[in-house]
Amino acid sequence: MNIFISGGCKNGKSMRAQELARDVSIEQSVPLYYIATMIPADDEDRLRIKRHLQARDGWGFETVEQPLDLCGLLDKPGVDPKGAFLLDSVTALLSNEMFRYDGTYDKDAGKRVADDLVRFAESTGNSVFVSDYIYSDARIFDDYTENYRRSLAYCDRALAKVCPSVIETSFGNFKELKLGRA
Amino acid sequence: MILITGGAYQGKLDYAKEILGAGDEDVFTCGADDMRIDFDKKIIDGVDQFVLACVRAGADPEAEAAKVLPLLQDKVVTCTDISQGVVPMDKTERAWREGTGRFVTALGRHADKVVRMFCGIPEVVKDTAKA
Repeated sequence: MNIFISGGCKNGKSMRAQELARDVSIEQSVPLYYIATMIPADDEDRLRIKRHLQARDGWGFETVEQPLDLCGLLDKPGVDPKGAFLLDSVTALLSNEMFRYDGTYDKDAGKRVADDLVRFAESTGNSVFVSDYIYSDARIFDDYTENYRRSLAYCDRALAKVCPSVIETSFGNFKELKLGRA
Repeated sequence: MILITGGAYQGKLDYAKEILGAGDEDVFTCGADDMRIDFDKKIIDGVDQFVLACVRAGADPEAEAAKVLPLLQDKVVTCTDISQGVVPMDKTERAWREGTGRFVTALGRHADKVVRMFCGIPEVVKDTAKA
């Protein structure tokens, strides 16, 4: 089952998402993948990646690097599309796609990434998507930041629509917003 | 009154139109630089922007909100929740944040129904019909 999980920062989203992905992998006896979205730019990034790898150590995750073109993962040799995938986070993926590493800016990345995410969810069927709820600031942002927020919300809503389970984290609590409603 | 709140871009207006079976012609969109509201419309969208217009015009948001509140009783009102971020450095943004907080609290108190949107999913917070 595809799962979408979002909420404020440091609310326990990542740990919960790791547990959910691992449980699916065990229940269905399928490989467990962690989709790494970060392209390290400096030592600080490399240290962050090292910490993340240590946090997942012993969980059984195979780390697959896919900072861009999410659906490209489905055709990668050695990757089973029927495995359990953890994408942490939609936020980082959209950032990579919108503010490109070659310095260019793709203002329409939101629609493209949302389509990719929906296709990925439908192709795999056992993915856990983590996003960030960044929508309650009292700030008048610059056009780039506002477009990024609007685009991330577009991706979130697209995923919330197709994922049978939608979870909001709130201070370490997990609220299921969709299951059992149908 | 039905109050629909939630963060930015969460699907508040889409939901307001959906429950009324309404179209764009039924919507008044509040402007950040204009305090006027067309009360002939069924949906008053983005009253947080009305509060920002009050602040920018040098009007007291609380007093202005008290004036418009009785006129919103039969409306569907949407308001972006801007209460959960960092306290802004900018004085206007601070006044906007506080004014919106007080206004949305008053709206919630007077509303028959309050719905919070999360990524397009409605969650009923208050419903006097079911109380």
